[in-house]
Amino acid sequence: MTKEGKAADSQWNRREFVSSLATSAVAAASTGALLTAGVSCAHKAPRFTPRKKVAIVATIVRKYSHAQHFIDRFVEGYGWHGQHHRPAMELASLYVDQFPENDLARERSSRHGVRIYPTIEGALTLGGSDLAVDGVLIIGEHGNYAKNEKGQTLYPRYKFFKEVTNVFEKSGRAVPVFNDKHLSTRWSECAEMVADSKRLGFPFMAGSSLPVTWRIPAIDLPLGTPLEESLCICYGGVDHYDIHGLETAQCMSERRAGGEVGVKSVHAVKGQEVWAMLKEREPTRRLMFAALARSHTCQGPPGYTYAIPDMAWCRKAATNPIAYFIEHLDGFKTTLLLFNGLVDDFTYAGLIKGTGEIVSCQMYLPMPPRYTTLANFFNPQVNHIEQMVLDGTVPYPVERTLLTSGVTLFAVESLYQGQVKLETPELKVNYQPLAKSAFWRA
Amino acid sequence: MTTRALRKITFVVEEFGVGTPAQQLLDRFLIGYPHEGAFRKLEGCRVALHLAPPEAADAEITRRVQDFGLDRESNLERAIADADAVVIIGREHMCVPSETLLKSVLQNAAANTACFVHGVLAPTLQSAKEMVALAESRHILLTAGTATAVTYRLPDVDVPMGVPLQEALIVVQGAYPVAEVEALHGLLPVIERRRNGESGVKRIRFFQGRDIWQAGERGVWPQSLLASALSRSDRPQGDPVADGRTQDLLGLGRVPQLAQHPRCWILEHRDGLRSTLLDLDGVVADFNFAVQTNAGQIISAQLHRPPGPAQHQFSRLAAVLETFFRTGKPPWPIQRNLLVTGLLEAFVQGSARKDKSIETPELGSRAIAYRIPM
Repeated sequence: MTKEGKAADSQWNRREFVSSLATSAVAAASTGALLTAGVSCAHKAPRFTPRKKVAIVATIVRKYSHAQHFIDRFVEGYGWHGQHHRPAMELASLYVDQFPENDLARERSSRHGVRIYPTIEGALTLGGSDLAVDGVLIIGEHGNYAKNEKGQTLYPRYKFFKEVTNVFEKSGRAVPVFNDKHLSTRWSECAEMVADSKRLGFPFMAGSSLPVTWRIPAIDLPLGTPLEESLCICYGGVDHYDIHGLETAQCMSERRAGGEVGVKSVHAVKGQEVWAMLKEREPTRRLMFAALARSHTCQGPPGYTYAIPDMAWCRKAATNPIAYFIEHLDGFKTTLLLFNGLVDDFTYAGLIKGTGEIVSCQMYLPMPPRYTTLANFFNPQVNHIEQMVLDGTVPYPVERTLLTSGVTLFAVESLYQGQVKLETPELKVNYQPLAKSAFWRA
Repeated sequence: MTTRALRKITFVVEEFGVGTPAQQLLDRFLIGYPHEGAFRKLEGCRVALHLAPPEAADAEITRRVQDFGLDRESNLERAIADADAVVIIGREHMCVPSETLLKSVLQNAAANTACFVHGVLAPTLQSAKEMVALAESRHILLTAGTATAVTYRLPDVDVPMGVPLQEALIVVQGAYPVAEVEALHGLLPVIERRRNGESGVKRIRFFQGRDIWQAGERGVWPQSLLASALSRSDRPQGDPVADGRTQDLLGLGRVPQLAQHPRCWILEHRDGLRSTLLDLDGVVADFNFAVQTNAGQIISAQLHRPPGPAQHQFSRLAAVLETFFRTGKPPWPIQRNLLVTGLLEAFVQGSARKDKSIETPELGSRAIAYRIPM
């Protein structure tokens, strides 16, 4: 640790001190068993323990980039359980890969006294020789990066991760890591990242904020539900928002009887082929309309503010549809529909085996600047990261994101090869979900 | 509960355009609406529209006549004569229909017709009482409200029935009196669940501008509840708009800096509950509330209004109204409507006497007090 760093450690300023008192109390409240939806508790006495430190390794920090959302929640706090919550830890360092004209990293660094290091190693060691932080966030989303021939943006998440684990290995210890969105653009790299986390023994959390955001209504599936098919309808593009839709479905699907056993095949199609495939799948069409009935943005015809959609209207409004049809090893099916032009939100529907009952909800994404000023779906994500840094617990197995990353990659490949169905023996990822779902409900 | 088939619903409206409450509600009954994970459509039910005063054909009305068989009727008596339900909607910025129009509906509708007024019943408590009396004398079922009363909450919380409450606060934005109407329709459904129900309001106070913050410092209204309510907002203004940052608006002293022409109403309920309505344009652009129980627990949530153009809070309201129309059982006691009307009337007096208490004996009477059914 540098001399400067030690001085900063031992002499908190008044703002930090007051903030730490409030944070301790809020942290106690926010983890308390007494909490129920919308109810906050009286403060407990604060504990005077040194604050943990986290480093954020980011591609770019500009308004509404993912890194901006994460950084600001650590340095400014955020709304949580009916209070303005300040994390019980310090954002100690940043590594930022790109500095565009509208960069905010330097402004945040200057205003909050968070040093930007020129290397990832520097950010993790705070300029010293050994790991000096208690948690690492890898936010490899947004920025100017090349695309490959398949249309994948080559964000350096794997590269960042390997530099992080190199520091862990050199230091002889590892700390919890969060990776935003899917793991990487190659399956071998995704698998290696998860294997590294096991080998080095650190808590590893990854993925989208969709599984942890508000649900409207706030439904959950009991563990062991006899689910036979899941479907998500959303907007966005391939290798971009598809991962969010896949995670929306997977956080429900994994709770089915037997848990997750892995994926047998992935078939991605677009355009007219989407409608042709749906025509052959009556249960999937039922799920599609159930999910649309949870949408708050289903586009209406001219002169109307919403639609009661039928198949003809879906075909007309969703002008460039994309669908992923996914077969799991136990016969379970997942369908992802990217219906740009028809919807602007994320909705889920699941079919219960035997009864034919459908469960459905919207996973609410208050997206700025269209609908809000804050991307508060990051609040529960950040809160889970804080918990992981504090006590090492992860809110869901990283295998979920390993699987959704793999499905994303194979869907991209399926489209690239001409919308062919791909067998996916690599995706034999089996895991059991945690008993408690990690979505935002209070 | 017995229900009846709906054969005709008539909308009596003073303006109609895309995005108006009239269009939003009428379309729910004309073309259907999403409800509990499915699309719901009233089968075999005619929807009629009477625009008052009758105006030249409007393109959006004509579109609905052609697309969905909307029945446009220029004669009010004919429009409502055989209706099972009538929805009366005034001009959007007024929140209250013309008294003459509502009276005509109540005088001409058949017995057992269910009538819903969007907004408030009348401009004065006396007039509202007369409308209620007229409806009762003709066996017409009458209620009023807005979608804010039934919209989604984030989180999906409610005050447990019978819990004693000490303080309540709601933050809204918008112009007077629409914001005040929405604040009352947003907060009353929350607080009327407290021990012994709604007791009525014995006095009100009004603050504006800097006086609001000084009153907050003095404890005239609860800053802790403002902090909790603001923590539920997805649309804080100021720096979050400029660069996307999260911010402790109250803790950093930003609220007084950002507020543009703020208004604050404090209601002293007869049972000791204190309710605060804050209109904070420039601070947040959504509706959030917080209440504190006598035991010190704070319950807070955003009254989530789904995005336009669909504004599916109107789907929630349509579902509540459909049940009302079918069962004849109003969704909430008529006293809630009288209290809202009376408070809005009192606000007119209050705004002229800022920082002074206005006694409201007529709103603290037993005739206004009510309990919602368990």
